[in-house]
Amino acid sequence: MYLQDIARVIRSKNAGPRCTTLDIMFNNDDDYNHVIRSGALNAELIGRLYATPVDKVRILEYPVARAIKIAIPRKVTAGDPGDRDVYGAQQHARLFKVEV
Amino acid sequence: MSATGRILREFAALPQRRPLRLLGASGQLGYGIPSGPFNAGLERKPDLIGCDMGSIDIGPYYLGSGNMATARESTKRDLRKVLTAARKHDIPLVIGSAGSAGAAPHLEQTLALIREIAEEQKLSFRLAYIPGDIPKDIIIEAIRAGSVEGIDGMPPLSEDEVQAAAHIVGQMGMSSFQQAFEADIDVLIAGRACDTAIFSTLPVMLGFPTGLAVHMAKIIECASICCVPGGRDAILATLDDEGFTLESMAPQRSATPVSVAAHSLYEQSDPFVIIEPEGRAELHDARYERVDERRTRISGARWVPAARHTIKIEGSRRVGERAALLCGAADPRFIERHQEILAEVSKVVRELVCEDAPEDYSLHWRVYGIDGVTDRQPDAPTPAEVFLLIECIAPTANRAGEVMRTMKQYLLHFGYEGRLSTGGNLAFAFTPPEVSVGTAYRFNVYHIMHTERMEELFPVRIEQL
Repeated sequence: MYLQDIARVIRSKNAGPRCTTLDIMFNNDDDYNHVIRSGALNAELIGRLYATPVDKVRILEYPVARAIKIAIPRKVTAGDPGDRDVYGAQQHARLFKVEV
Repeated sequence: MSATGRILREFAALPQRRPLRLLGASGQLGYGIPSGPFNAGLERKPDLIGCDMGSIDIGPYYLGSGNMATARESTKRDLRKVLTAARKHDIPLVIGSAGSAGAAPHLEQTLALIREIAEEQKLSFRLAYIPGDIPKDIIIEAIRAGSVEGIDGMPPLSEDEVQAAAHIVGQMGMSSFQQAFEADIDVLIAGRACDTAIFSTLPVMLGFPTGLAVHMAKIIECASICCVPGGRDAILATLDDEGFTLESMAPQRSATPVSVAAHSLYEQSDPFVIIEPEGRAELHDARYERVDERRTRISGARWVPAARHTIKIEGSRRVGERAALLCGAADPRFIERHQEILAEVSKVVRELVCEDAPEDYSLHWRVYGIDGVTDRQPDAPTPAEVFLLIECIAPTANRAGEVMRTMKQYLLHFGYEGRLSTGGNLAFAFTPPEVSVGTAYRFNVYHIMHTERMEELFPVRIEQL
């Protein structure tokens, strides 16, 4: 199963101009626990998908909202020359086909 | 007596605190405040109306240029709506991060609108405003004292960067808002400010627990975004000593335990902590309990005061003048080789435009369909068409335009290997396809500054209208 088949929300957004955050939310505890237990969303995978050093990837479990939060540094500060996504709102789609 | 004086006096005389009602009218004042839910909120007799007006998320342009992100007319319409309501009900109106970025020109434009509305609507009130700009000499002094740190890997702040910034603002917090509220006012317009201070300051002054007040403030500053479905309609928070209850003023939006808890994720890297100049609210023990299908009660946030006050400082500097070329391509051979073609053409351009001038510009291109938005994935298909956004930043608009036009012409006719289409490599939706976009800025200050001089940094100004 892909993450897009089980998640209710998969989104990205800046948390300040130097950080991209990725939120994955689920409809119910079962779906949330399934993905947590699968261990699929780990720092190695995120590091590979976003070409980011593994030690810069932060992953937080947030069961009260049935959500997983991932934070990675932006390679280009928001709005700097050469930036492609000032708000960081379109960096999420490569999570869709993560096998969970 | 004015609105803040009245509520402070009322609570001082109460034998026991009554619940406080706060109306979050807008998380982005200037983009429209739906009237139905806002009016429904007024019927609930709120004690305060608050609106957030700014953010750093919109990028460095607004802070650097001094321009507002919102249109003047829609901003005025929203301000008129909240100002006339607050005066009619005689309750405080609090607006944070005036004019999108909260620097002097943004605050001035917002105040000009407030004065205009006051005159047109024949409103009379006591206005407070607090500039959010941080004097450069104070920052340089703090740098020398080792009291400035980069946020999220931002490089150490140099004195040159401070001098180069067009504007530098600091996010004022509750202590600054409190000074204004103590001055017996009806309306507060703050420059760059913590979005929480808009709603947390009054309850904290009235003796409500700080952790709860800050947690509540962090949610309602975004209006009904914390609901399902999320939206920009007004939200009402009712706060007591043990917790607070949230209710969207739009009947179709529900504040559920999960939707409210999830809001702590939004634009935050850590959903368990809200960091303020005066300390931090810790949400590890926060509880979200259903009241009914549209309301949730929240409790459990804990406040940990900071040993030293800190403020976030934000600065933006000019990089140059920006020109852009907008064009498309539908030739598979061109699309296949676009990387080498763009590199080759940019070399040709450099030879031409730098014949008698220094290489004083930068060129950036984004090829939509390939990797204009994100890095290309190895298995991504090759598209039939691409859009090219080619950007030049140069010291002057003329220079940027010169580079861009040269780039246009040579990219259009570049003879790459295997080319069949000798009529031209690009499609233009209109001509001229190159546009001057104005001044380009970048964030050069995004730091934490430790300070003991909060009062001096954010002086409260009072004006009788």
